[in-house]
Amino acid sequence: MEILASSIVAGLLFGMVLALVALGLTIIFGVMDIINFAHGEFLMYGMYTALLASQVLGVDPLLTLPLAALVGFLLGIACYKGFITYILRGPMIAQLLGTFGLMLLLRNIALLVFGSEDRAVHHGVLVDKSFEMGMGIIVPATKLAAAGLSVVAFVAVWLLMNRTRMGKALTATALNPQGARYMGISTEKMNALAWGIGGASVTVAGALIVNFWPVNPYVGLLFTMIAFTIVALGGFGSVPGAFFAALVVGLITEIPGFWDFLTYTLELDWMYDVPMTSFKYMWIYVAYFIIMVVRPRGLFGWKH
Amino acid sequence: MKRLLQWTAVVAGLAILGGLLAPAPALAAKEIKIGAIYPLTGGAAAAGRELRAGAELAAQLCNEARSDIDMTMAKAAGIQSMGGAKITLIFKDHEGNPTLGADLAKKLILDDKVDGILGCYHSSVTKTVSAVCEQYGVPMINGSSTSPGLTERGFKWFWRTTPHDRWFTKDLFDFLVGLSEGKVRGVKAVPREDINVIASACENSEWGSYVSKVIQEMAAEYDFKLRKSLLYSDKSPDLSSEVRSLRASKASVLLFASYTSDAILMVKTLKTQKVQPRIIWGQDAGFDKPEFRSTLGDAIEGILTRSVFLPQVVQIKPVAGQVNSLYKAKTGNDLGGASARAFTGLQTWIHVLEMAGSSEPAAVQKAANAIEIPGQELVVPWAGVKFANTGSEMGQNIMGSGLIGQYQKGADGQMGVEIVYPFDVASAEMIYPFPQW
Repeated sequence: MEILASSIVAGLLFGMVLALVALGLTIIFGVMDIINFAHGEFLMYGMYTALLASQVLGVDPLLTLPLAALVGFLLGIACYKGFITYILRGPMIAQLLGTFGLMLLLRNIALLVFGSEDRAVHHGVLVDKSFEMGMGIIVPATKLAAAGLSVVAFVAVWLLMNRTRMGKALTATALNPQGARYMGISTEKMNALAWGIGGASVTVAGALIVNFWPVNPYVGLLFTMIAFTIVALGGFGSVPGAFFAALVVGLITEIPGFWDFLTYTLELDWMYDVPMTSFKYMWIYVAYFIIMVVRPRGLFGWKH
Repeated sequence: MKRLLQWTAVVAGLAILGGLLAPAPALAAKEIKIGAIYPLTGGAAAAGRELRAGAELAAQLCNEARSDIDMTMAKAAGIQSMGGAKITLIFKDHEGNPTLGADLAKKLILDDKVDGILGCYHSSVTKTVSAVCEQYGVPMINGSSTSPGLTERGFKWFWRTTPHDRWFTKDLFDFLVGLSEGKVRGVKAVPREDINVIASACENSEWGSYVSKVIQEMAAEYDFKLRKSLLYSDKSPDLSSEVRSLRASKASVLLFASYTSDAILMVKTLKTQKVQPRIIWGQDAGFDKPEFRSTLGDAIEGILTRSVFLPQVVQIKPVAGQVNSLYKAKTGNDLGGASARAFTGLQTWIHVLEMAGSSEPAAVQKAANAIEIPGQELVVPWAGVKFANTGSEMGQNIMGSGLIGQYQKGADGQMGVEIVYPFDVASAEMIYPFPQW
């Protein structure tokens, strides 16, 4: 029972962080119909920003979130202005391969600058601390904080998108760029803004994740794949969809825990021998596959 | 007379010409090139630095004449049977990647024309690199890969100095049985049911998965209940679901085979999840690294690690102390399992070359199969180095042995490792059970 409860809690908490990771991807796609393969690399830069800033300034990594957001915002806009505007003129395939190239570029710059070694946060206010929540559920403080702050950031972006004039202009650009231009909205600015907000939200997610997840220049790919699954499940372009899908994906990563629960409840010998933890990320891709086959527009999708 | 002079001039000219063209082996000392393939970047980079420093120190002791070190190879400069030939190490970085390792081995053999190979730490990389060496007929000596399967392939160009995981794992179970029989220094006989349920988590490449298999076999043989045995990737950035699984197993003995970064992450996660077993044992590698100690600090007190070299060895073996002080001057750290075995690996190469008197592969092969290095030459606490050249473990050193150490805080407040097994050389009382986090 204990393992079941703690797996559910861990899955939901991780899901909340993943929601913020996927948010940027779905905003950029929603506004511009571009799949950003370099999304995970943005996250990686967010992780490095928080890690290095906390080391250089000697503060807790959680205090570096505004800096990470700024770096992400500028990185997003720089990528848009310096690169994406040019490949937008090309065919769809050029855009796909273009962001793939951007991914390789960003990753290799990181390799050059930071080296390939794993780096991790070993000191911080919350590092290595945990809370007992009863029923044998133990939650690491870093994950709890990351989940909570992710939800705050997520809601903030959602409010920005839905309650401000700027957000409405963004949504208008997403729905109908030509119509938006007729209304006097600078879609060019909106596109850049989408990249800025997308970049900032994912670097903030990175700065939260680095508290419990070591960083190296290759860390982005796993998160890119997870974010794709979330966005596909939630529906491309749907912000609330991304949130619920992220919770589902978070729970999917805990399938080994559910398996353990069944194993110890049923006490079946063959179940002990199944190496579930070795395949913990496989289920995410299985889910991706099933969504693509059964419901390609996702649960809440409105773009296709 | 004129003709005679002419002929003399011709002959003299030819002689001079011949002298210029012919190589002069007796005059210039030959350089022996050994390719050393280690993980110098990536998750095991810390181990790579140790391995590199250990091998470099052995090369330095061979190349210089050192009277202060009681080792045959340090007595004179270079390899005596080859006219004082010097050892040159060519380091390559395999990043823990078996495919890259094999490519590097080919480059070393074909481009750098090395006389032999040393490496590679990760058993998975040693496996592919040794296959390349076997294909090209180039001798390879392995100092620190412990997957038992490596010497079960019948290779003719592969020798391994370190004992392998079947021996080490047997040590562990003998230790557990000894614990229940009251043989451990400072611990009264522990009821068997207190330590009967075990669980293991091993990294999923060649080395860890083999350790996992051996643990399963031994648990059955020694009649322990293995409640959970899981495999994980050493590159896993998050091990929380693995740790939850271990916790749910309610095992009182947790066994690990981990490389450096994952060993640190594993112990941190055990701590944050408040998993409270009676015994935590690591199969060397990550659990034996300076980074493990420096990153985790006091949290590791009470953790057991299998090792081949512990600082206490220095007190038993004077020669280990001499080498250790040189190593410490060079790197700032004490010799550890990785550096001591890399040192021993290259030392074995030097003895083999000395005996062969040539770097011709056939001569090296013959010498390696016949070599017998006595224990007093070595920094590691083994009876010596002698390779099996028949039977099912071709090329395995049959005179090695292992230790089990425990992290304990000394009187000076420094975290050190005390020997708890073999029981007769125990250097301190064991801390049992594992303290509260």
